[in-house]
Amino acid sequence: MTSTSAAPSPAFTFSASTFQKLHPAEYFRKFISQGVRPDGRLLTGFRPTTVHYGVISTANGSAMVRVGGTTVVCGVKAEVAEPRLDSPDQGYLVPNVDLSPICSSAFRPGPPSEQAQVTSDAIDRVLKESKVLDLKDLCIEEGKAVWSLWIDVVCVSYDGNIYDAALASVMAALANVRIRKPTYDEGIVKVSGAQELDDDNSFKLNLNRTPLSASFVLFDTSLELLADPNFAEESICEGQISVTVDEEGQICALSKVGGGSSSPSILKECVDRAKERSKDLRALMQQQ
Amino acid sequence: MARLDRTRTANQLRPFFSSQNLLNRADGSAQFDFGGSSVLCSVVGPAEVKIRDEKLDRATIEVIARPLVGLPGIKDKSRERSIRETLEPLILSGLHPRTGIQIVVQTMKDDGCILSTAFNATVLALLDAGIPLNSILGSVTCIVDEKSGEILLDPTTEELSQAKSTHVFVFDNKSSISTTGAAAMDLDSESSPILFSDSTGLYTEEEYFKCANICHKAAQTVHGFIRTAVQKKLEKEYQQTHA
Repeated sequence: MTSTSAAPSPAFTFSASTFQKLHPAEYFRKFISQGVRPDGRLLTGFRPTTVHYGVISTANGSAMVRVGGTTVVCGVKAEVAEPRLDSPDQGYLVPNVDLSPICSSAFRPGPPSEQAQVTSDAIDRVLKESKVLDLKDLCIEEGKAVWSLWIDVVCVSYDGNIYDAALASVMAALANVRIRKPTYDEGIVKVSGAQELDDDNSFKLNLNRTPLSASFVLFDTSLELLADPNFAEESICEGQISVTVDEEGQICALSKVGGGSSSPSILKECVDRAKERSKDLRALMQQQ
Repeated sequence: MARLDRTRTANQLRPFFSSQNLLNRADGSAQFDFGGSSVLCSVVGPAEVKIRDEKLDRATIEVIARPLVGLPGIKDKSRERSIRETLEPLILSGLHPRTGIQIVVQTMKDDGCILSTAFNATVLALLDAGIPLNSILGSVTCIVDEKSGEILLDPTTEELSQAKSTHVFVFDNKSSISTTGAAAMDLDSESSPILFSDSTGLYTEEEYFKCANICHKAAQTVHGFIRTAVQKKLEKEYQQTHA
């Protein structure tokens, strides 16, 4: 005669944090079904974002961007270089994203990880194909000397959505760039170094547009859209959609990779939300 | 308006060509051509996998993209990631846990649309290797022309250099089976779920969805071609074994 067996009490119980470790996807699904995420955000919510300019004094332009737990620092260094033969009046833009083990245990030391290379490539394509900068502005003397802009993005703390943060930091750093006016004289480029930078002895970059992006992940078969995924959400969800738009609402890049075939209505929603997000972000960048 | 190669209309693809089972030592291989572009793809697997990469519940899929000349760079890494992440949900990898499937994509000739060509070659190679898939995909690229604003399908390198924006799409054949006859004629944008999309340049939302629609229609042709290619190959194999 056991009366206890009739009572539907579970064999053993464990805390929510243990449940999260054992069944991360199930833990997550329970939150999503209630319309919230484990960190308290709504499905459409972006994490708090901050932008700081001029954080590296030795660079020509720099910015630090924080998106929740993701922190990236971008420095732009201008260097005099020889132009390519097929484009003698165009300078260079060389973006590079560094995801070292310092920012997350997900990255190993050694050659750049696939994610770092893919992010660098994505930023490179946005900068060049949507003509953010006229490369002819970087010409010092046609066929002899041009400016080469090394755009280095270092991730200090990684918590997902590196592309949005990196692109925002690149655009902020480019807006922050000041380069001393060079003088070209018989094969020698001279850049005076001593005095303070002002409008007479230096120039700013003329940016045609400021593309900013918003990324989303597709959760599960229910295809819920989660904005601005953090690291845990990125590793659980398979499909990822990134939309990059400029201030006029033109799309500069759109990518959809991974699981879940998304119908055009989902993509339309992403574009609309990206437009809103980039407006907010742009306002934030101009405040400073 | 005539296109640069003067032989096609805006909505025309270049002639396809494919051949399967070209490589002796691979489990499956295929070559796919879009006019002057050609990609050779080999598939090895399901085979042993490094312990570090082993997944307990499914096969590990590894994609290696090789450029036409020189060493692989970041463009090739991006291509690898695009192909891998699109194929991962497509391959029924749960049937082969703790194994590895290695896919090598080698560019043979480059005249634009390499990513699309690579996608199509990969699917043919996977079919040749007998890897179980839950659907077939077909990929098509289009551009919006800088001067005329026209949408041109399957651009050549020359056309790509004059593009305002470039769009690569992948569609599966699940949506195309049901749309036969009259329904296939007016594919509205709602009926074309996009498996993979990669667009760069400057364009409006409207242009993007117009491109998606045109590419979806063109992808049906690619699906049809893949189906015929597999059918012919199986017929040939059947004749050889029952001769």
